[in-house]
Formats: sequence, structure tokens, C-alpha cells
Amino acid sequence: MDKQEILNNLSNAIVEGNEEAAKKSAQQAIDNGLDALKAVDQGLSKGMSVIGDRFETGEVFLPELLMASEAFKAAMEILNPVIEAGKQKVAKLGTFLLATVKGDQHNIGKNILSTVLETNGFDVVDIGIDQSTLNIIEAAKKSNVDFIGLSSVMTTSMPYQKEVIETLKEMGLRDEFFVLVGGGPVSQEWADEIGADGYGDTAVNAVEVAKNLLAQKG
Amino acid sequence: MLTMLDIYERAVKGPIMTEKDFDMKIFLPNLKDVVKKYGIQYDQENPVPFDDAAADNLFEAGVAFLTRVGVYCQGTNRVMQFNEAEIRKALREAPDKCFPGAGRDAGVMGQRKPDEARYPWFHNGTGIAFSSEQLMTNMIEGCASIAEINSISFPAIEYVRGLPAVGGTPAEFYAAIRGVNIGMQALKRAGRPGLPVLNLISTATTAQSAIAASAPAFGCRTTDGWLCGAVSEFKLNLGTMTKIAYLQSAGGLIGAETAPILGGFCGGPDGTAVVSTAYIIIGVLVYRANYQLHFPVHFNYGCTTTRDVIWVNSVSCQASSRNIPMRVIWDPYCAAGPNTRMYMYEAAAYLLSVIPSGAASFETCHPAKAVLVDGFTPMEARWNVEMGKAASRVKREEANELVKRLLEKYESRIADPPRGSKYQECFDVESGRPLDDYVRRYEDVRQELADMGIPLD
Repeated sequence: MDKQEILNNLSNAIVEGNEEAAKKSAQQAIDNGLDALKAVDQGLSKGMSVIGDRFETGEVFLPELLMASEAFKAAMEILNPVIEAGKQKVAKLGTFLLATVKGDQHNIGKNILSTVLETNGFDVVDIGIDQSTLNIIEAAKKSNVDFIGLSSVMTTSMPYQKEVIETLKEMGLRDEFFVLVGGGPVSQEWADEIGADGYGDTAVNAVEVAKNLLAQKG
Repeated sequence: MLTMLDIYERAVKGPIMTEKDFDMKIFLPNLKDVVKKYGIQYDQENPVPFDDAAADNLFEAGVAFLTRVGVYCQGTNRVMQFNEAEIRKALREAPDKCFPGAGRDAGVMGQRKPDEARYPWFHNGTGIAFSSEQLMTNMIEGCASIAEINSISFPAIEYVRGLPAVGGTPAEFYAAIRGVNIGMQALKRAGRPGLPVLNLISTATTAQSAIAASAPAFGCRTTDGWLCGAVSEFKLNLGTMTKIAYLQSAGGLIGAETAPILGGFCGGPDGTAVVSTAYIIIGVLVYRANYQLHFPVHFNYGCTTTRDVIWVNSVSCQASSRNIPMRVIWDPYCAAGPNTRMYMYEAAAYLLSVIPSGAASFETCHPAKAVLVDGFTPMEARWNVEMGKAASRVKREEANELVKRLLEKYESRIADPPRGSKYQECFDVESGRPLDDYVRRYEDVRQELADMGIPLD
């Protein structure tokens, strides 16, 4: 099979959110001696880039994005062992820890951000909803992340965003992570007040903020 | 009629699955299938459609979707399932009105049908944070003084003795009591002590604080309403279920609070319309709610005034007002802030999309997506009352044309709307009166829209 055709099939499988097709093309890539990193970069990631662009312009929505993400993960399960055997690594922009803060059980905004981050080349460690400050900080340390993303959808849980930042300061860890905040009632004004590094009013905007912070860091 | 104990029984006996499996394997594929099977299709050229058969078809799609999917209980990781016969029985048996408020401020909140020339129930929301108790009091008193306002919401208190009112803490409980106290005093100052409050314990977001602060000793009355929120999409937690159980037993009015997200798990406008309609059935079936605060919202812009959300509101309002015995308070969020032309255009478009579509009630459009501290004034309440009356004189077909013209005025600025003014920037805090600049802008836009053909008084 032509290698370019395999790359196209990988990309198309992601755009269509077709897990089975993504797995089949990933196996074909290996069977035909295609470099696994190239399959990721010029096949899967290309497809994610297409679906990410369509999401940004409102042509597709969360369901399509999630299905693309699931197809991507399914193909990576086949390609990863080959990549690791070759002692290679997929290039990543950075790693995000995502959590909805304590007392808050909302997750849809966080889930959208998680998927949009992945489509933009970030690794994501999502520890879920209703997470205490110490859980968040311990998980961030354990996964050695670059960013902590805190979601809050209620005014009564927003103070926990502040608590995470204050506790990071108390523990002498504030400079170890960029802290980004978001959620329905959260605003730039609030982010500034509590000393967050960034605020995203949309998932796409949050990704831009994260990229800018990385660029400033150098 | 199912009690909350019946519902809870299903939450412990229904099929077990992870939340992700519910989203990916139950919710998404069934929504896609129902949209296709019932031919639900977004029409961007007609933000306010006027086809009764299409509205009834959307209602049937909502019934089919709820029957297939059920509601997920986050606390037990099980799906509460309902069959079609149960759903239709609940809709047949549900009351068609409720009676909020006390004394001479009590009212009858009933249903409206599409194109019905009767005023809706005017609900004034002040669901925005205020930086001082004086501003909060001014705000409630100012809005309650508007004669047409039928009910009100209180803002949340964010701090008590300098401590943040964090969910699940004593501070939340104390702040909740304080919030009710300030609100009730402001209603008395406005001369409307019995005006129904439809988000009574606004400060408390946890069930434990909400229930604790609901004791009559703290001024709470069963003639008021409590909001019980769902988690998007089609999820309930045990705290909310306990709160509903408490209210069903104690006798307070139950307000279901639901917000399908366009662009989230609902997908585009087609799917969101189905989910929006099904949510109102859930309000009857699962919550046995007396009213429902409902706001389909755009995932990206956080407002309810984009063209696609306007369409979702209109069609699901028509589907529900024709078929579901629920007093839905359509709850708008504008992108622009107070004291801007854009806010007034957005509010006008929203109200023209839901009131001719049969909205029983609406809440004052929240300015600046409700995130600007002190970002609400009685002038917005006044505009919404004026526009609400005008919209009730307009039929759907005419509303469609007006909404299209209004969208032309603000649509391109949705992503970057003007922030507008805070209360203290456009009102005299001492007298509680608007400054000249706002009055002039208000009158100017009002005249512009009257010249457009909107039948303002």
C-alpha cells in the first residue's frame, strides 16, 4: 500500500472520528514499514488539526471532537509500542493538569478544554470533578505538569481557585506551574484578583493563552 | 406521578455505567439517531419559525430521546430510566399552573401558547454578584418597585465577615441566611413584601446549606421557590435529588434549573433543540417542578443571543408550550453589558424569539453574561418589561422578520461585545436613579426599535 495513502487514511479516520478505520490504518502503517512518528505527525495529528480548525470555526462541535479524540487514542495504542521500542517520543507542547475544584461537579467545560488541548499538541492529565486543593497540587507534582487548569462553574466554588494559588505560594511551589482559570462565572477580573497566570473565556482562547505563556517563558 | 423516592430507587437499581460511557455510548449516538429519525433541522434563515406541526414533531423527538437515554445519577453511576407510558402519564397529570407569592403580591403563573396575545409572567433576575450590600439592596428594591414585575431573584452573597462563602462550609450557610434577610428587607422597602422569590437560597449551592438555610426561622416561606440544578447533560447528583425530596415534602415551590449547551454534548442547533425540549419533560417527570428556569446557551460565547441559540430557544419553546404543562422561565444571557445599545438589541431579539413562541415567563436578560460584578441595574429590568409587553403583541411570523433585523445590528459583535457600565457608573448610588447618559441612550434605542415596527407602548 502506498505510504501517502496510509497517511491520508489516518488523517481521514480522525476527521471522521472512525475508531476502527484509525486502528486499521495504524496497523497498516506498521505493516508497511512507515515510520511511526511520521504516521502520528503527518497522519493522525494532521487529522486532529483539521477537526480542531473546524471546531474553532463552529463547523463541528464537541461530539465530533470527542470522536476524533477517541479515534486518535485508539490509533496511538497501536503506534505507541513501536514508538517506545525505537526510544522515540511524540513531541508535545506541554502538559496540563485539569480539575474542577472542590464542591463543583460540573465537567463539560473542562472536558471540552481537555479535548481542544489534545488536538493542539498538549498532554492532559484530567483528575476530574470536585477535587480538593491538595489533591490538585499533589497530582500536579506527581505528573510534573507545566500547567494547572482549574474549572469552576459556581460562585461558591470559585474561592477554591484562589485557594489553590494561595496554597501553592505557601508550599513554595507557585513558580513551578502556570495556573489558568475558567468556568461560567469566572472572568479576567477574577483571574487578575487571585493572581492566576491566565484566563480563557473559551477553550480555544485558553489554548492560545497557554501557548503565549510558553512562548514568554521561552 | 413519581416521587423523588421512586426516582432515587431507579438511581440505585438502574444500569450501572461510567459517566463517559453514558456520554459516548448512550447520549451521543441516540441524539444523532433521534435528530435524523425526526428530521430536526436548523434553519438559519428563520430564527423564529412558525410551523406548529414542526413544533409537535420536536416534542415527539424529545419524548423519544428521553425514553432511550434516561437521566444519569452521578452519585450512584447508574441510569434512571423511564418508559414512554410513564412520560406521557406524567405530562397528562401535571398541573398547568402554580401560585407563587404571598398576600397581595401573590400571583398565578400559568401557561401561554404560541402567538397568544397575553403578557407573560415577568420574572426579574438579579443573579449577579454585587460588591456591597447597599448596591444589592438598591438593586432589589429598584426592580421590585417596577409594578409589572411578578417575581424576583436575589443575588448571591459572596462573603461573610470577610470569609468567602465557599460551598459546603459554615460560611456558605451564614451567607445564605444573610442573603435572604437582605432580600426580604429590600422587598419590604419596595412595598412588596410578599413578592415571590424564585431562587430563594441563591447563595447556597450545596444541598446541605440550602436545606439548612431554608428553615422558616430564617424568613423562608413555602410561597417562594428554590432552584434545583441539573448537570449538563442529563445528569443529576444526589445533593440535588435530596433538595428536591426536601421541597416535595416541605412544600416549597420547586424550580428545575436546566441549561443545554449548544456545541457541547448536544452538538449543533438540531441536537440542542431536542435536548432542550426533553429537559422540560424532565422538569415535569423527574423534578415535579412548579416552574423551570431554562437557558440553552452557546458553549463558545456563553450567551443565549446568537442566531443558532435564538432558533433553539424558539423551537423548543414552541414544542414545549404546545405540549408540556410546565411554566418555563426562559432565562437569557446577553453578551453586552448594561448601558449599551447592543444589550438592548440582544434583549429585544431574545424576547421576540420566545414570547411569541409561547413562553409562559422570562427572566430579565442578564447583561455581560452575568459575570460583571455590579453589572446590572433596574434600567435593564425596565427595558425587559417594555419589550416583554411589546413582544406579546407580535406573532411568530412577524417576530421572525424583526429578529432577523435585530441580529443584523449585533451579530458581528457577539465575540467581542462592549462591557458596558457597572451600577455605580450609570446610576446615582444614593438616590438609586439612572444617570442622564443612560436615560438618553435608552430613549434613543427605544425610539429606533419603535421605528422598526416593534409595538412598544
